[in-house]
Formats: sequence, C-alpha cells, structure tokens
Amino acid sequence: MINNDIKNIAGYALDRCLKNGCTAARLTLNNNVQSSYSVRNDKLDRLQQANGSSLYVQIFTEGKYGAYSTNRMERHELDKFISNAVDATKYLSPDNCRKLPDKTLYYKGIEEDLEQYDNSFSNIAPDKKCDIAFNCAAEIYKKDPMIISVNCEYGDSDDYTYIMDSQGFEGESSQTTFTLSAECSVKGSGDSKPEGWWYESSIFLDKLIKEGVGKKAFERAASRLNPRKLKSGKYNLVVENTVSSRLISPIISALNGTSIQQNNSFLKGKLGEKVFSEGFTLTDNPHLKGANGSRFFDSEGIATRNMNIIERGVVNNYYINTYNSLKLKLPVTIEGPSVPSCDFNYPGKITENHIDIEHILKKCDKGILVTGFNGGNSNSSTGDFSFGVQGFYFENGIILYPIKEMNITGNIVKLWNGIAEIGTDPRMSGRWLIPTLAFELVNFSGI
Amino acid sequence: MTETGKMMALFGVSTEDLQFLIKTALSEGGDFADLYFEYSTANELSLRDSEVNSTGTHIDYGMGVRVLYGDQTGYAYTEVTTMEEMIKAAKVASKIASHSNKNSTLLIPSLYNLKENSGSLSLYKVKELWETTAISQKIPFLKELNDLIFEADSRVNKVMARISDSNSSILYFNSEGTLASDIRPMFSLVATCIMENNGRVENGSSSRSFRAGFEFLTKDLINEIAKDVIKRTSFLFEAIQPKGGEMPVVMGSGSSGILLHEAIGHAFEADFNRQGTSIFADKLGKTICSKDISVVDDGTIPFNRGSINFDDEGVPSQKTYMVTNGVLTSYLHDRISASYYKTPPTGNGRRESFRYMPLPRMRATYMENGNATESDIISSVKRGIFADNFSNGQVQIGAGDFTFFVKSGYLIENGKLTTPVKDINIIGNGPEALADIVAVANNSRVDNSTWTCGKEQYCAVSCGMPSVLVKKLTVGGID
Repeated sequence: MINNDIKNIAGYALDRCLKNGCTAARLTLNNNVQSSYSVRNDKLDRLQQANGSSLYVQIFTEGKYGAYSTNRMERHELDKFISNAVDATKYLSPDNCRKLPDKTLYYKGIEEDLEQYDNSFSNIAPDKKCDIAFNCAAEIYKKDPMIISVNCEYGDSDDYTYIMDSQGFEGESSQTTFTLSAECSVKGSGDSKPEGWWYESSIFLDKLIKEGVGKKAFERAASRLNPRKLKSGKYNLVVENTVSSRLISPIISALNGTSIQQNNSFLKGKLGEKVFSEGFTLTDNPHLKGANGSRFFDSEGIATRNMNIIERGVVNNYYINTYNSLKLKLPVTIEGPSVPSCDFNYPGKITENHIDIEHILKKCDKGILVTGFNGGNSNSSTGDFSFGVQGFYFENGIILYPIKEMNITGNIVKLWNGIAEIGTDPRMSGRWLIPTLAFELVNFSGI
Repeated sequence: MTETGKMMALFGVSTEDLQFLIKTALSEGGDFADLYFEYSTANELSLRDSEVNSTGTHIDYGMGVRVLYGDQTGYAYTEVTTMEEMIKAAKVASKIASHSNKNSTLLIPSLYNLKENSGSLSLYKVKELWETTAISQKIPFLKELNDLIFEADSRVNKVMARISDSNSSILYFNSEGTLASDIRPMFSLVATCIMENNGRVENGSSSRSFRAGFEFLTKDLINEIAKDVIKRTSFLFEAIQPKGGEMPVVMGSGSSGILLHEAIGHAFEADFNRQGTSIFADKLGKTICSKDISVVDDGTIPFNRGSINFDDEGVPSQKTYMVTNGVLTSYLHDRISASYYKTPPTGNGRRESFRYMPLPRMRATYMENGNATESDIISSVKRGIFADNFSNGQVQIGAGDFTFFVKSGYLIENGKLTTPVKDINIIGNGPEALADIVAVANNSRVDNSTWTCGKEQYCAVSCGMPSVLVKKLTVGGID
C-alpha cells in the first residue's frame, strides 16, 4: 500500500512542477530507516540509528531537463525549491531526447511477492540486534593468542521508494536488509597484522546466517600468515565467489547505454556480435524471489523482464533507458542490471552438477586463487585492466600458501575468452549472483 | 549579529536549546557530547554532445548528535530540526552509555560554558558566492571548454564537462561549551575527452577543485583543463601496458601524493593505531625512512580542497607533521584517539555530512622538498617506470599492502624516458616503500584534482609530492 503522507508530498510536488510550467515531471521519494551496532572485542563500540527521506524531482520543460533533490519536505520549502528548479532548467539548451518513457513500457502491477520485505522489521528489539553483534565477536575474542582485534557489526535498513510521474505512472517498492559482518586482525610476521573479514546479508532477519561469521573472519585472517610473492608470469586464475563480481563489472559498465552513446565502451558496435567465449552467457533475472536487487520496475517505471544480455558469447542487449534509446535509436531495454548471473556451457558439461570452488581448483590443477582485490582499474574504452590481488597459490587442486603484492593485468575481452569454468555457487548475500570463476593463463606480476 | 548568531537563526536554535540538547545527550552518563548542524546546497551543470543540457540542485539539511562514553560512540541524526526531533536523536545517542560497560575514560571535561571559536581561521573567503551566481554565468565556460578541446585535436570525438559547486553552512556545539560556525564552499570542474583514431578509442580526464567561489572559474582555468585533457588523452594512443614485475619507480611531482595517501596516510590515522591494527602501530617516535623525508597533513592551505577552518569536532585546523626528518612524529587524531594517546587533537576529525560520525581523516597530505632534481633522479634509473597520472588507490591497513592505478607514464631505459605506458596497477608495502624512497626532488607541489577519500564515508582531500625514486615496487604488466 502506498503511504498516503508520501503520496501527498509527491503529488503536491508534481502539481507545483506542472503549475510552474513543466511539460512533464517525475517525482521519486525515498525513505530509509537504519540502525547499526558495532562491537569491538567485548564492548559495544558504536551505536547508530537514523531515519531519512529525500525527494528527487526530474523536470522536463520546453525540451530541457534538470534533476533536483531535497530533504526539506515542508510545502513552503518545496514551493521555493521547485520554482527555482524550473527557472534554472530554462537556461539550458533543448535536448529533445529528454522525455518520459513510452507509456506502454510501464510496469502495470503484478500480484506477486518478490519476497523483498521483512514485516517484523519495526518490531525487532535493539537488545536483540546488539546481542547478535556481541555473539559474533564472542565466537573469536580471546579464543586465540594471535588475535589483536575483533570488530563485528550488525546493521539493518528499511528502504521505501515511491515514484509518480505526469503520465500517470505510480509505483512503490520496499526492501529490508539485515547484515552481519566481522573483521579480525592477527599478529603476523614482523609488524604485519593481516586482516580477515566475512559478512552475511539477508532480506529476512530469520534467514540471516548469524553463526560462524566471526570464526570465518578469524580463519581468513589466520590463513594470510607468511605470504609469498611469486615470480611474474602466466598462471591459471580462480576467483572466489566473494569477489568474482569485480571481473564482470567492467562488462556491465561497457553495456551501459551512456557509455555506448558517449563512444566510451569497448562493446560499442558489438550488438549481435560474438565477442566472448561461446560458452559464456550473462543473464539478468529481475524477478528472482528473495534475491537482492529483484524489482518489477526501474527508476523510470519501466517494467523489468528476464533478459539474456550475453548469450553464448554474443552481445544480445545493452542497458538502454529512454534517453539513450532516443539518442542511439535503439529500443529501450532497462536502465541497468537487477540480478545478473552468469553461466558457462561447453560440450560434455553436465549442467546438473554443482560446481563449487573445490571442484574448480581441482579442474585447474595449479594456479592462483584470488580471494581479494586491492585497487586497480580498467579502461572503459579499451577494456585494458590491471588489478592488485591477494589470495593463495594452489597445486593439484590444493591450496599451499598465501600470496602477496601481485597484480593481474590484461584485457577484459581476452580474459573472458579464456574462461575455463564458471561455478554454480554464487553467494545469495551479494547483489550480483556471480559464482566462482576460473580463467586460463592470466598475466600475474610479482617478483 | 555574529556569523554564529546568523547560523543559529538558520537552524532555528538558541544557546539554551543547544545546552538542553547536550544535557539530554549526556543524561545516561556519557562523557562528552556534540551537535553538528549542516545545511548544504550542491549545484551541477553538465555539457554533453556539445550542449549544456543538464542541471541539478541538491539540498541536504539536518543535524547529528554524538555521545562519547569512554572511547565508545552513540550517534543519531535527524533531518528535521524541531526540538522534539532533536531531543529524540539526543536520547538515541545517549544510549551508548547505558547499553555497555565502559571501555576506557576520556579526558574530555564536560563544562557547558559557551566558548565561541569561529573566525580564528579564514582559509576560503569567497568573493563571488555560488548562491548568487546564475546558471547563465556558468554556461559560457562549459561551452568554451568544449570548443577548445574540439579545436585542439581532430581525433576528439566526444567531450563531457561538468561544473559542480556547493555551499555548506555548519554549526557546531559540544559539551565543553565550544560553539563554532563555518561556511564551506567547494567548486570542481571536470572534463572528459574521448578520442578516436583509426578505430581505436581512448578516454582521458582532467579536473580541478578548490574551496572557493565563482571568482575561481576563469578563462585561464578553462585553458589549463583543455590543454591537460588533450595531452592526457592523445598520449594514450602511443602507450602500452609494459612487461610487469619488480622495478624502480619514479613518481612524478604532484598527484603522486596518492602514494603517501595510500601507503602511509591511512595507516597513520590514529583510530587504526589505538586499536593496534595498523602496520605503523608502535612506531611513534621511531625512524621509519630517510632523514631527507618529511610528510605533512595540512588543513590550512588557503582555498585547498582538503582545507577546513575547524574540523567536524570543533578543533581548529592545523598543519600536522606526521614524519619529520624520517621520524614518525604524529598520528592523525580525532578527539577519541587524542584522548587515548594523551595528546591534543590534530584537527583531523572529519565527516562526510551530518549523517555520519567523525573519524580521523586526512586533509592535504604531502611530502616536503628534498635536494635532488627530477632529471637527476630519472637519469639514475637503468630500467624502471616513471608515473605521473593516477586515478585511484587502495590500502590494506594491517598488512600494509597499498596500490595505485597509473593512467599514464613512461618506461625508463638507461636513464631516459622512452615508451609511454598506461593502465597499470602498482602495488607495494607501505613501510617498505617508505624506506625504499632513496631520492627526493626539490619540486614538491600539491595536486588540485578532485581527490576524494572513501574510508567508510567520503571526504574531500588533496595530496602532493616532489618527484621521488622508490627503489622497488611491483608494476602490473603483461608478457
């Protein structure tokens, strides 16, 4: 149900936009309630609670466009704010591609629950939240003499969004998020103090994994003792599912309509072409129940749908919103990813099998397992990348020792053409469901 | 009416209101409390496809209440500054004292006596206010920038440019009685250029940012950015990703300060040190690098992006020597860590907005001049890399491993700059890299790009460096 107070604020703002001479307008109102409880060692270190709102106003007037926001919702404040906004927008050059969407593309309403909201959110006692953080820290605090410091944090948020526009679109969405994270520092060799972290996240508190988070953080810190730097060269690369989205991110960015329109994408002009390995498929599944990021409509109100973004190596779709659609003369798809996931099929692959990290390490035999990235970037025009990495050297599918101070360098298209395996083990706590990945012979720089 | 009086009127509060809120915040037994009011207005104006065709204004208003109990923190904020809502926030923050056992005792007295300290510094006095600058006055600058870039090189295919300006009105009060106010301007100009040559596409960016008014947006600045972005982008057509591995790295002057920011700056932030998690914990007073090296974190450079008249805990800004002639002389403190180390705060308690509690953060971090020259340093290297344009960096505080991404530079072969290089990550270990700086040039300068630090929350910073030679770092590359 749409909250009437919020609807009234948005409706009033829309009315002010139109009365001030806008030809069209979109209003988006966000409300967020959040709290966090951090425990350091055996004491509550930080307690934080907040409730915030913001109104986002997109103005279309005489072919001109402006985007404004405020958290001052009183009517006299909105009057002044919107009047100033409309006046400012009139100074711009016209841009006839700035329009509200084709109405036929709007989300029309579906009586289906995407399982995005925990109705118990407002009834959870602060003491219970605090206890979750304390219990997490207690799993490891003083349990091993090598531990220097333990930080555990419980956090939750309730995000509500309401959108209305002058073409009659109206939509709302709510999502709750519960997180539990742990960081642990241990004594290393010399002055080094390796850190390990772990986190769990869920839309529902009762589904949040609360046990073992502290222990995993400690185990990951302890596993970083005495790292070695390897010789520069080509190694098989396995990327753990906790960080694998880092290697899909440059592809997602390159599929963005603005990057394509601004000639700043290594996938420009590749629609319909086979760019990647034949077995590689990237899909977007916005209606996956209980997944972070699932949604029925995007920020323009356009209905989401399942899409094969890359299918067997062929670029099938870009992420195109209304503006870029008119600029590029391409059909609207959606503004950006909701719940992307990827798959790899090759002759002889048994698709029913669960493929996890152990399976992939064995398949690759020897190489480097990356469990964390340290800086780096990629060139959006060319796809050239270079990332700092940490992880482990493995042989015969068995992890032998941690590695340090190494970079991987190459080109994203070439990297993904060397894909060796894609697991079936994405972490549901992540927004993008990217599993463990393996690539053949990647350039590592070390000694 | 004083500036602080005007600010109190802006937020609709009296001295009595402030004192009552502090009493409420301390009602559960907290040691120290502060109130942080903010009214920020940020404007953007963008050029795309050779037209200035997008604009926006973003208003953020509210206040935060913080309560310290030992070194523990309770925090709450509200976007509505009625006494009813602020009292609610104060009561939430006060719970830190009743929710936990005390970890330690802060040496901060609770006095409540009013001590107004605004106006002691005036690092960014604005001549032409952004709030009275019309869009029509800014548009010609973006158009001229666009034209200059297109005219400079026939390979230019697209230009995107943006003027961002903001103004933050800040009112601060704490349980020591410190009352302070500040008006913080910020201005940024960013241009991105896409060039295409025989089917190959490259992109480059250039930016400048200052705490200043409209008077800083000049034709000279437009010319400077246009030349810079053209140089940076055209350079890339000749550049390669080199063969990687360990090698000497010469860091050019200016933006190479990212090395200081990542390699040692974060590790010197005292919250990590008081918790024992920084690789530099226990190094205070010890020699950590060559005696030719002194490193400063300075919040007092006029109009600098990282400067602040007082920090977000009401402490006047200052120039802090972190490393003096090779010795680690100070961490960067907020009030909590200063109390822990029994030293005065250094004015590094900063926050992104009223939505966040303050943390020890850098301001403008730079290395002071040495005695060498850049050309001497380059000619001393047989094979290595010269890097002078960077986009981002990162550090692992405990392990000390840091990285920065090199957008462009050169190979050094037999003491000369040869093949241009690009898009490589460089990785090293903070203490080792600092100790491996074997030559420092006499050309230190602070870079005025739009540097933004992202430790839990965003903060405007800047960084600087003279050219230096690091004996050994690991350079990303291909076979």
